[in-house]
Amino acid sequence: MFKFINFSRSALAVFVACIYIFLYVPIVVLVLYSFNQGGFPDAWTGFSLHWYQDLFHSEEIWRAFLNSIIVACTSSFLSVTMSLLLVHGLRHYKQNLVPLFYANALIPDIVLAVGMLALFSCLFIPLGLTTLIAGHTLLGLGFAMPIIKGRYDELDKSLIEASLDLGASMQYTFFHVIVPFLYPAILVAFLLSIIISFDDFLISFFCSGSSVQTLSLYIFSMIRSGISPIVNALSTLLLIGSCFMLLIMMMFQRNLFRD
Amino acid sequence: MKIFKKISKSEKSFFFMAPALAWQICFFLLPLLFVIQLSMCTNLFQHATMEYFLEVIKISHFFVIFRSLLLASITATCCLFIGYPVAYYVALCAPARMKSKLMFLIVLPFLTNLLVQVYAWFFILEKHGVLNKFLSLLGFDFGHLLNNQFAMYLVMFHVYLPFMIMPLYSSLEKINIRLVESSLDLGASYFQTLCRVIVPLTIQGIKTGFFLVYVTSFGEYVIPSLIAGQKKYFVGTLISEYFFIGKDWHVGAAFTCLSSATFIISILLYQVALHKLVNRLQRV
Repeated sequence: MFKFINFSRSALAVFVACIYIFLYVPIVVLVLYSFNQGGFPDAWTGFSLHWYQDLFHSEEIWRAFLNSIIVACTSSFLSVTMSLLLVHGLRHYKQNLVPLFYANALIPDIVLAVGMLALFSCLFIPLGLTTLIAGHTLLGLGFAMPIIKGRYDELDKSLIEASLDLGASMQYTFFHVIVPFLYPAILVAFLLSIIISFDDFLISFFCSGSSVQTLSLYIFSMIRSGISPIVNALSTLLLIGSCFMLLIMMMFQRNLFRD
Repeated sequence: MKIFKKISKSEKSFFFMAPALAWQICFFLLPLLFVIQLSMCTNLFQHATMEYFLEVIKISHFFVIFRSLLLASITATCCLFIGYPVAYYVALCAPARMKSKLMFLIVLPFLTNLLVQVYAWFFILEKHGVLNKFLSLLGFDFGHLLNNQFAMYLVMFHVYLPFMIMPLYSSLEKINIRLVESSLDLGASYFQTLCRVIVPLTIQGIKTGFFLVYVTSFGEYVIPSLIAGQKKYFVGTLISEYFFIGKDWHVGAAFTCLSSATFIISILLYQVALHKLVNRLQRV
């Protein structure tokens, strides 16, 4: 019997190792080829950083990157602020409104994107950065709200009352008691919304119009028109970026993904 | 006086809640209404017609919807059956100090740009790609490995696996290991323990993971349009074609409504089926 347990356990470990390899082989190959001297179909011709140099000199990519940053930061800021206000306002109500916002993450993106395009065009709102921010804020709300609500529920409500009893105004209590307690959750929600906004393709595709390009849209058009090692270098940098974000998030909230 | 205080309090908190609710109504509820409106009326203020719906109801369109449902079902099922052992291993078998590292490696692809992941597969599957080089060393030659159904399912599976493992891991982590031990001590076999104790305890995680993958992969646009080639249509690719190439928004909106309705019905059916499956498992 014991032999069987040992056997099945190591078989499971081998299986899991295979899955991990499967998950990472494409990414590792991508990163390796970004340092290749030649282009992609060639064999390995030597280490070189010149694709990274090309990347930094490409004006188009910088513009797309700047757009992505603007959209991601603005929409994350909006969604986190709105979540914070909603969660704080909700404390007087018995009903929990948070499940209402799950729908943002739980509806096929394409339906949402089509809906927004229909809305903007019916009301003659020109497509551009503002419409992109509106869409990404909506996406971010679906992720930020549950995270912040989860932490808010852990807050000892008597702390708020104590602060009010001791003569602090509601405003003072909000900024000096509630926000510091929520700080890790706010940071995690903010970073996650940034990543989601960077990652989003469909809403950008439908709501950006022809004038604005984000990084996702740029990569998509590059893949369509043929492989270029510059995208490898870009992808590698994006990968390192999300690696950093994840490390920070894990530092601040150990049980982030246990909800 | 007390009543006045109460009113102003709840009014104040409503004021706090207003921005998020307004955003949700403006950019979530309203767009969905506009899709319905677009699919039924030629103009903003006009009587409804059914002509767009009649145009949409075609055999070929039902094939497209069916193909998307199949894509989502196969992806979700594969992810469930392969993700469960992985989550099980990380949550219950792996040494404690390895757990967070292993989870880090699962979450990282989830937070990586979808297009980066899809792009990475080109290097494996291209004609001169890594897989072909490897196979030619062994003496095989398959030619082009991209632009077929299998490649698309492979990439779908790769992209959506982390979506499945995370909720499964969180529910497996919460299992009290003593329940498993007592089940084994009382004479149940490993298989029985798995079916009767572990799986029912993690049903919430299974549901979350399954529907997360199912919903997001139904409307998938990027992977079919980049990997599957131009021959096959899916819901996402057809909708975007109506909106961008055909410029026929009314029919596109009608098709969106039709496919969403079919999709919601399929979700309800799956929910019933999942419950039945778990009930049957418990009798093993």
